[in-house]
Parts: sequence; C-alpha cells; structure tokens
Amino acid sequence: MKNFSNRYIFLYITVLVAVIAVLLTAVSLGLKPRREANQQVEKAQQILRAAGYGEVTKADALRMFGEAASRRDIDGHECYDIRCADGDSGLVVFVEGKGLWGPIWGYVVLASDHATVKGVTFSHKSETPGLGDRITSQEFTQSFIGKRIVDKDGNFVSVSVIQKGRGGNVAEENRVDAISGATLTSKGVNAMLHDQLQFIEHSESVK
Amino acid sequence: MRELADIFVRSVFIDNMIFAYFLGMCSYLAVSKNVKTAFGLGIAVCFVLAVTVPVNYLMDKYLLQKGALVWLSASFAEVDLSYLSLILFIAVIAGIVQLLEMVIERFSPALYQALGIFLPLIAVNCAILGGSLFMQERHFPTVAHSLSYAFGSGIGWLLAIVAFAAIRERLKYSDIPKPLGEKGIAYIITGLLGIGFMAFLGI
Amino acid sequence: MKQYLGPLRKDNPVLVQTLGVCSALAVTAQLKPAVVMALSVMVVCSVANFIISLIRNTIPPRIRIIVQLLVVSTLVIMVDQILQAYVYEVSKMLSVFVGLIITNCIIMGRLEAFALSHSPFPSFVDGLMNGIGYGLVLVVVAFFRELLGSGTLWNYPVVPQSWYAAGYLNNGLMILPPMALILVGGLIWILNSKKSSVK
Repeated sequence: MKNFSNRYIFLYITVLVAVIAVLLTAVSLGLKPRREANQQVEKAQQILRAAGYGEVTKADALRMFGEAASRRDIDGHECYDIRCADGDSGLVVFVEGKGLWGPIWGYVVLASDHATVKGVTFSHKSETPGLGDRITSQEFTQSFIGKRIVDKDGNFVSVSVIQKGRGGNVAEENRVDAISGATLTSKGVNAMLHDQLQFIEHSESVK
Repeated sequence: MRELADIFVRSVFIDNMIFAYFLGMCSYLAVSKNVKTAFGLGIAVCFVLAVTVPVNYLMDKYLLQKGALVWLSASFAEVDLSYLSLILFIAVIAGIVQLLEMVIERFSPALYQALGIFLPLIAVNCAILGGSLFMQERHFPTVAHSLSYAFGSGIGWLLAIVAFAAIRERLKYSDIPKPLGEKGIAYIITGLLGIGFMAFLGI
Repeated sequence: MKQYLGPLRKDNPVLVQTLGVCSALAVTAQLKPAVVMALSVMVVCSVANFIISLIRNTIPPRIRIIVQLLVVSTLVIMVDQILQAYVYEVSKMLSVFVGLIITNCIIMGRLEAFALSHSPFPSFVDGLMNGIGYGLVLVVVAFFRELLGSGTLWNYPVVPQSWYAAGYLNNGLMILPPMALILVGGLIWILNSKKSSVK
C-alpha cells in the first residue's frame, strides 16, 4: 500500500469537497424551477379539492385554478376568491399551524356569507403515519362541510375539533370530532383554525 | 417542560427507531447474539445520538435553513442551503464519532474497552443519521427539544436491541424449522415485537 | 458472468447477508414508492461503485471511509433533487428514507469489499446487481403488502368490487410496518427450503 503525505491528504479532501460543492449547487439551481412548479401544482390541486372540484389531474390543475380563483389578500392573510364547483362564489383562506411533530397547513373555503365552511384540505410535514396523518383523509375533511365559524348570534367561535362526547356546550354546527389516537395533532388543527380564521370577524374588507 | 417529557416518551415507545421506522437494523441484527454486547452497542448509540442530533440541530438552524444565515448578514436572508444538509450531517456524525473515540480512549480506558469496538460501527448506523433527518423534518423549537428527542430515540433503540438479544439467547434452545433458520426467525420476532409496541399508539 | 448474478439470489444482500434492511422496509407499504426506492438504490450503488473504483488508487487509506461517504452522499443528494423535481408525490412519501440510502450498508459494504480492489467496469456491474437484488426483495414485499393490505396495485384497484360485496375485507395489518419484517422472514424461509431441496 502506498504512503500518502499529510499534505496530499489535505489537498485531496479540499479538491474533493470543492468539486462536490460545485456539482451540487449546479444540480440544485438547475432543478429549482421544476421543484417550485411542482409545489404550485400541488397547492392548486389542494385548493380546488377544498372547493369541491374533486381530484384534479396535474395537467389541468394550474389552468383550472387560474380560471376559478384569483388571489386577494386580506389584512396580510393569504386569501383567494374562488368559484366553487357548485357555481357559488367562495373565499379561500390559507391557514398554518403546528401539529405534533412539525408544521401543518391547509385551505378553508368559506361560502359567500363568510361563516359557512364549504370545504377544507389539510397537509402536514411529518405527523405519525396511521394516526396524525389522518387529518388529510376525506373522512376527516368532509366532516367540516356545512359547519359554521360563528355561533347563532353571529360571533366568531371557529370550528372546534373536540373529542367525541366532550365539550357538551359547543353547538353541533361549530364542532367536528377529533381523530381518535391523534389527540395532539387534532389539538393542533383546532388551534390553527382558531388563530387563523379570527381576522375575518374584524376585517371590514372581507365584506 | 411537559412538552419535553412528552417528546421523550413518544420517541421511546411510539416512534421507536426500530419498531416503527426500522432504523439501524443492520447492527441490530448483527450485534444481538447476547445481551451484554447488545447493551454496550445500545449505550453507544444512545450516547452518539444525544451528541450529534443537537449539534446538527444547531447546524440546521444557523447554517442550512432558508434564511438561517441572517446572523451573518441580512443580505443572506434568501439563501437556502438545505440541499447540503445530508452531506453536512454525515460529516458531522463521522467527525464526532472520531472525536469521541479519541476522547474516550484518552480519559476513560475502561469505558473505551466497553464502547470502543462499537464506535466505528456507529458512524454508518442508519439510526444516527435517521435521528438527525427526523429532527430536521420535525422543526423542533429549541435545542432542548432536539436533545430530548435524541435521547428518547436512543433509549428506545437500546430497549429494542436488549429485548431482542434476550429473546435470541433463549432461542438457541428452541426448535426452529430448519429452512427458516436463525435469520428468518430474527425478522419474524422483530415483526412480532413491533406489533406489540404498536399497543403504545393509543397513549 | 456467474459471479455477478449471485446477489440476485444466492448472495442476496437483504435475504442472505442481512444488509441494508434499515431503509428497505419502511417504504414497502405500496408498490410505487418501493420501485422508486429500488431504482434510486440501484443507481447510487452502481455509480458509487464505479466512481470509487475509478479513483481507488488515489484515495489515501486513512481517509477512505470519509471519501466514500462524501461520494455516496453527493450521489444521494442528486437523486433526491431529481426525485423532487420529477416525481414529487413519491418523493414526499419517501421523505427521509432517500437520505438514509447514504448509510445503507449494502452500498458501503460493496465499496469496501469490491470497488476498492476491482477495475471500474466490473465494479459497476457488481453494484448494479446488488442494487437489483435489493430492489427485488423490496418489490416482492411491496407487491404483497399493497395487494393484501389495500387491494390495489400501483394504486389501481385489482380486487373486484364483487368480492367486497361478498364480505371480503382488506387486511389492514399488512399496511402496518411490522408486517414487512414478517414477510421478509417468510421469504427467507421459502428461499432456504428451495435451496436445501436442490442439494
């Protein structure tokens, strides 16, 4: 086996690291537009699903989104005006919060009265498979449809995510059942909706 | 404080490295013939996880994430180096393992005798790199959270390998179908243990 | 030629040498991520073998593990970026497990055992064959888990609706991670009993 001097080893590593750094940066920059396009398509698909369009193919997503929705931020919150699948107009509100392990986010579509939920989608980064990740399931998201974020006097109460059988004083139209076995993720969804929908009550520009 | 304990318990039992994610299976299968060596490797993994994950957490927070370099200069706010995280994490792990080996050898020969042979194995143990990658994905708010997670995962791994080694010691005396062999039964036992651990999911 | 075919069955890295199981099993609940994972490992394993073999005479032995890790992780990062750009949903399903290819014992094992002492082309073939051997196990396990667990293959339903009407239920246990291990145990059993009957 050959002997290598310390200087050779040092040079070797330096050159290797330099080559690798250049290579990786090139690949990363080169593919960046494609990665970002993917993320946009996914976002369009999620919003369209919340608005009742069902599963939209990737090829159609951006075009349909462009036709149906237009961005209109309200008080610094990311919002969209959208024409829902049933022909009504709605308001999409982007919500984000914390689940058990990492960030969770989603889109809430409100009917033109800004009080009735027409649909939601949720996403998560790293909730436990089989438990917390069920917030993305149809079973959970569909339980939000028709719920109201205001009580019968018109005050903002959000939609609460509560375990079945608990929280008896919350009206049926203001609550959905939490996911059994995923208490903390459900609490995260609950807190996210409370925090991020509240601005609608105070905002004049919503109307 | 409660949150820290929560993360700890979850990473020991529910998100157990071995039974939920199969991380570190290679050394888990190779070094579990008897309880004593299994325990030694388990302790070493625990130790290395508890050191490398917080270090990599700091790396991620102040070097790699989008906007992480702001502390250097505000003009770096848009720089996102996260594509380099794999390579940096593995370099940190390899470096720290090397360093630990030298430090332990210098200051505690007894400990070195116990852990020494395992340390080089650990640099390429998936559980260690996996720990850092899950830490990055989960966006812990502070170093303490990441430490609690790392330590919990280590304990979980230790628990799993010791339990498995104890079963394997008994296995020598049992009558396994010949073609199934020692390896086949090892996989099946791990699977059954994993199903057992799933009972913790309800907590 | 024969020595290169060993990894497919006789020396299968997962079943016989028990290497690389770490990342293998968590991604096998469905066929699609399993196939993508298998392809990624094949690419990384063969290319890494090729590169290391190409520069094997220039690597100072003292730092060879670090050099190997650097080369492998560079390749893995590239694969990861390509997956994110071209098969976005699958890359989300694989999450951290693509990164864990770095510590996949098969790759490091082949670099040490083969690439450091052979010329580039045989090393490439050796890496490829080991990657395929690994991929085969992944795909077989994923095939059964998706078929029995979800009643679909590649996301297309294959169990006819009339079965469900007649009371057939998907075996939810199959989706759970521990079942992957039990299936591999079963595979080893079948393989070994075949081998001994040939003798």
